[in-house]
Amino acid sequence: MALYPDYPIRTERLTLRPFTRGDVDAVYAYRRREDVARYLFDVALSREECALAVQQRIGQVALEGDGDKIILAVELDRNGSVIGEVSLILRSADARQGEVGWIFDPEYQGQGYATEAAAALLDLGFGPGDLHRVSARCDVRNDSSWRLMERLGMRREAHFREHALLKGAWNEEFIYAMLRREWLGRRNAVSTARPGGDQ
Amino acid sequence: MTSPILPIHTDRLALRTFERGDIEGLNAYHTLPSVQRYVFSRTRDAAEVAEALEIMRGHVSLQRPGDTLTLAMCRNRALIGHVALHWSDATAGQGEVQFVINPVHAGQGYMGEALAALFDLAFDHFRIHRLFARCDGRNHNSIKLMQRLGMRLEAHYREHALFQGEWDEELHFAILDREWQRSTKVRDLPMRHRVA
Repeated sequence: MALYPDYPIRTERLTLRPFTRGDVDAVYAYRRREDVARYLFDVALSREECALAVQQRIGQVALEGDGDKIILAVELDRNGSVIGEVSLILRSADARQGEVGWIFDPEYQGQGYATEAAAALLDLGFGPGDLHRVSARCDVRNDSSWRLMERLGMRREAHFREHALLKGAWNEEFIYAMLRREWLGRRNAVSTARPGGDQ
Repeated sequence: MTSPILPIHTDRLALRTFERGDIEGLNAYHTLPSVQRYVFSRTRDAAEVAEALEIMRGHVSLQRPGDTLTLAMCRNRALIGHVALHWSDATAGQGEVQFVINPVHAGQGYMGEALAALFDLAFDHFRIHRLFARCDGRNHNSIKLMQRLGMRLEAHYREHALFQGEWDEELHFAILDREWQRSTKVRDLPMRHRVA
């Protein structure tokens, strides 16, 4: 199930597109922050490390085999700023399993941008990507992340305790997931609820 | 890791490494449909069981991460099942337990007895931090057993993999070193064996 999407992907207020070298400063602005790095596997990045991260992402635009990633910059249309990134990883082509992730600039929190961008990625994964199940994971203390998973309609499937070490301390992790039929059910419910829409 | 002293004797069982002579005993249960229903690697005939035995005979210690220690469960010198401890992550001290019993011997507490000894071994001898076990969501016997051992349900995956050609429902149970009630064995002894 190869997935080679056409870019950019446009939502109501955002543009999801591949990274370019020109995004390094924007990425540095939020990935240098401790509050952003706190629950990521990485620590806060230097500008050189951001340049490397962006460089790696430029080619991550399609899914072919297990482990492949699509990582897209999320650009806010009203001011053209890159406010974060969203990712879709192919975990198993045979079982059609994917994983979504995101990193957002706290300066742009509270406006529903992360929900909008993540929903677009789920549309991509379950739609053209034909995935059966998409999961997401986060540190249990990362409230904004798992609340986003629940807003998207994902179910909590796992709560692991001390199953791994993260930055020298015991990790506690949630795994959320949703099935294709659950996502399609939600999308249909949303569209039929729109006033003036077809009935 | 240092090798444990085997065999391990519990109230009614001896836990030891597998031997060539176990082929008949293993054949007696491994290909049964009720066992095959939930095992991770299927064995369809005697030849595949013989291959499985060869592999299990090599599981005699935990030297490197990724190693598995597999112990035959013997009751009155008869092979009635087996338990395994897989060292899945050395840095974080994680181990996975697996277990199979000949259905003829089920319902008598043997598996709980063997797993309690295996848990003692994992936590006390190998100093593992967390043990986990996976099972199918419909495998009620395994679920009850793990709950009795004091394990917590940590994951309930739905349709995250194809298992024997169908969408699975996989549960993960886990227990930490500090949660394992080693005194369980004492509590279960008849009254006259307990110290006042």
